Amino acid sequence: MYEARESGLHLLHPLTKAALALCLVVAGLVLPSRWTGYFLVLCVVFPLALWGKVFTPFLRSLWKVSLPLALSLFLIQSLFWGEGEILLSMGPIAFKKEGALFALVSMGRILLVMADFILFAMTTRPDTLMISMKQAGAPSGLAYIIVTTLQIVPRFQNKASTILDSQRSRGLETEGNIFVRARAFAPIVLPLVLGSLIEVEERAIAIQARGFNSNKEETSLIEIPDTKTQRLTRQALILATILSIVARIAWQLLN
Amino acid sequence: MFDNIKKEFSTRTLVLIPIAIAINIAIGELVVRLKLPVYLDSIGTVLVGAIAGPWAGALTGALANLIWGLINPFAVPFFYVAAVIGLLAGLAGKQGAFEKESPQWLSVVVGAVFVFSLTMFILAFTNATTDDTGFTSYPAMSELFSNYAVIFIVAILAGGAIGYFLLQKGGYAGIWGLVTGIVAAIISAPTAAYVFGGVTGAGTDLLVAAFRASGGNILASVMAQGAVSDPFDKMLSFMVVWLILRSLPARYKAR
Amino acid sequence: MAIVELKNVTYKYPLTDSPILQNINLQVNEGEFVAVVGPNGAGKSTLCYTIAGFVPHFFKGELTGTVEVAGIESQTSTLNEWVLNIGLAFQNPFNQISGAKYTVYEEIAFGLENIGVPREEMKARVEEAMKLTGISDLADRSPYSLSGGQQQRVALTSILVMQPKVLVLDEPTSQMDPIGTREVFGVIRTMAENGMTVILAEHKVEWVAQFADRVVALHEGQILLEGNPQEVLTSDLLMDNGFGISRYTSTAREAKKQGLWKKDMLPVTLDDAVEGFALTLPSPDWRGKK
Repeated sequence: MYEARESGLHLLHPLTKAALALCLVVAGLVLPSRWTGYFLVLCVVFPLALWGKVFTPFLRSLWKVSLPLALSLFLIQSLFWGEGEILLSMGPIAFKKEGALFALVSMGRILLVMADFILFAMTTRPDTLMISMKQAGAPSGLAYIIVTTLQIVPRFQNKASTILDSQRSRGLETEGNIFVRARAFAPIVLPLVLGSLIEVEERAIAIQARGFNSNKEETSLIEIPDTKTQRLTRQALILATILSIVARIAWQLLN
Repeated sequence: MFDNIKKEFSTRTLVLIPIAIAINIAIGELVVRLKLPVYLDSIGTVLVGAIAGPWAGALTGALANLIWGLINPFAVPFFYVAAVIGLLAGLAGKQGAFEKESPQWLSVVVGAVFVFSLTMFILAFTNATTDDTGFTSYPAMSELFSNYAVIFIVAILAGGAIGYFLLQKGGYAGIWGLVTGIVAAIISAPTAAYVFGGVTGAGTDLLVAAFRASGGNILASVMAQGAVSDPFDKMLSFMVVWLILRSLPARYKAR
Repeated sequence: MAIVELKNVTYKYPLTDSPILQNINLQVNEGEFVAVVGPNGAGKSTLCYTIAGFVPHFFKGELTGTVEVAGIESQTSTLNEWVLNIGLAFQNPFNQISGAKYTVYEEIAFGLENIGVPREEMKARVEEAMKLTGISDLADRSPYSLSGGQQQRVALTSILVMQPKVLVLDEPTSQMDPIGTREVFGVIRTMAENGMTVILAEHKVEWVAQFADRVVALHEGQILLEGNPQEVLTSDLLMDNGFGISRYTSTAREAKKQGLWKKDMLPVTLDDAVEGFALTLPSPDWRGKK
């Protein structure tokens, strides 16, 4: 999902961006007003997206992902709300105002989470994120798993297709009644998984032969620029996150 | 305890996990392509649990779920369900469920019991009656049996046949899969209700509302679907992993 | 000076009945290029894994005898201590890519990061290694966008940057097309010329004959024959035991029976064959006139 751009946002330290993302999400979900979600999306996330020069792909992704969500949320909530003021009725089906309102408010929060995540993913290289997490103390095995998964998953589809095609060319039937189709399952899955296990063994040997998991102090090729300002900003953001949670609890108790 | 956890994450495991996540997605898409009425999107997770252990399985499940979330965000809140599936697969592996061959009669029994309970469940819901005060009463078991005797007998026979042909000697794996599926369905219900139903304490109860609005039929189908697809799906998934591990040359089995 | 020494090595994989290596005695001197040939199942890969220390540390199983590289014995040390002396490459280059890096440059640096080499030294070593193997122009590409031959060269570079004492190669060109094969052997030749000790398991006997100082013929887990490449690769013993021999050898053998091959030694490579046949057959000049 990463989009490379020459932008100030891209140059920020990954942990700074992570802290920012976290703070936004928590603030949006936790602060009392009902419209915080929309507010933060419009006034914070959108400008950031512009700064990161990814506004167009960002908006496209956001739209693609939230539209189906918004529709189903709206339908379920307005149709199945218990007692309420009816906005529109078509025979036995009635849309209730409270339900629609509820959907609108929820959508604001959901939109914030989605926008936040999409912007973060588009402006942060996964491997630099992992490196900075490792430098901050996260286990390096976890970093390896996450980055490798992101690289391997897209390429794996080809493997399955290749096996499907080669079995088909050997006469495997994949169309017809359910028994025929079900019987096609094993001849495709078994080679796929068994072949993958061989891949696992060889790769484990290959990287171990290059010192992986050898409990030595690791160094990093890529230097991630960091500044004092960013460090302070991160601390401020974490503080803001905690404060908003406290504010919410306080508000809850007082009401 | 931490040593045990650490031992599970050898280089082999770290290399396996990304590939297992890719396998989840590849097989999940394969069954769509073959138009089979199952999901089978956790075979990779179960595989890791079976080969590497419960903690590795749990991590795989959680990560796979989050990755899947990039495509379908609806999946993300259920990450803990996927983790539990991996965890239980690991426990099953420790008990040798994936290595031992069960007697065929056991598979028949498992199949029969499963289909029988499923039938009972569905019939109970579809025959539930709601009176004017909103109180729902479910028919007594004896009543169900007498009214639907033939259906139950067919269910037992069909279940036995399914057990025999699908599970074959993988009965132990099948049982563990069944149990895992049931657990998964149960622990995902609250989140499903919250996320999709929006049960918020604002005075609405989606389930009751839907139930009242539809006379019980929608609820029966929703609950029935959750109850059906998960246990059957997981039972099958565990069986597939059992089949895969049986086909491995001896060399790969030593962990 | 023997840098690799195997004494009476017998090895059985776990959960199997028969040992895949039986009583192997092998010595490789520093700077030597030893090729291991043998039919499938002879134990070539296992031998490579044994020299690299993955047998027995990674595969478990039962190993008897001693395996020594650069003076350290494999059974009494840990895999992590051992691996840095050996560079190991195998058939499928795709499986040797770590998956954790987005560019070839970073992929090569991966090993150095793992062992804690300081950044400046890392960059110097990576760039030097890339120059040596001729892949500097691939530095910014994704490892997954390369051809098989390119990937294998990247794999070799990633290994060489670790500065191993011995290079162990298990059929590195089996999955390559002819261009990839040539590219990979080019890198291997460069390494050998730079004094690297190389142990190569290979089917392609014509290439073996060009590079190897010594050939070891492995059959059913035991060393059948060992010696000068020319002698070993043309011996009847190999042909009788199902080894693949070069087509030039088999052609010349037939020709010998009909008196058309006058030399004592059968050829292994095309050049040897041409040289030998030139003695008996009239050689038209290239325009076809006699």
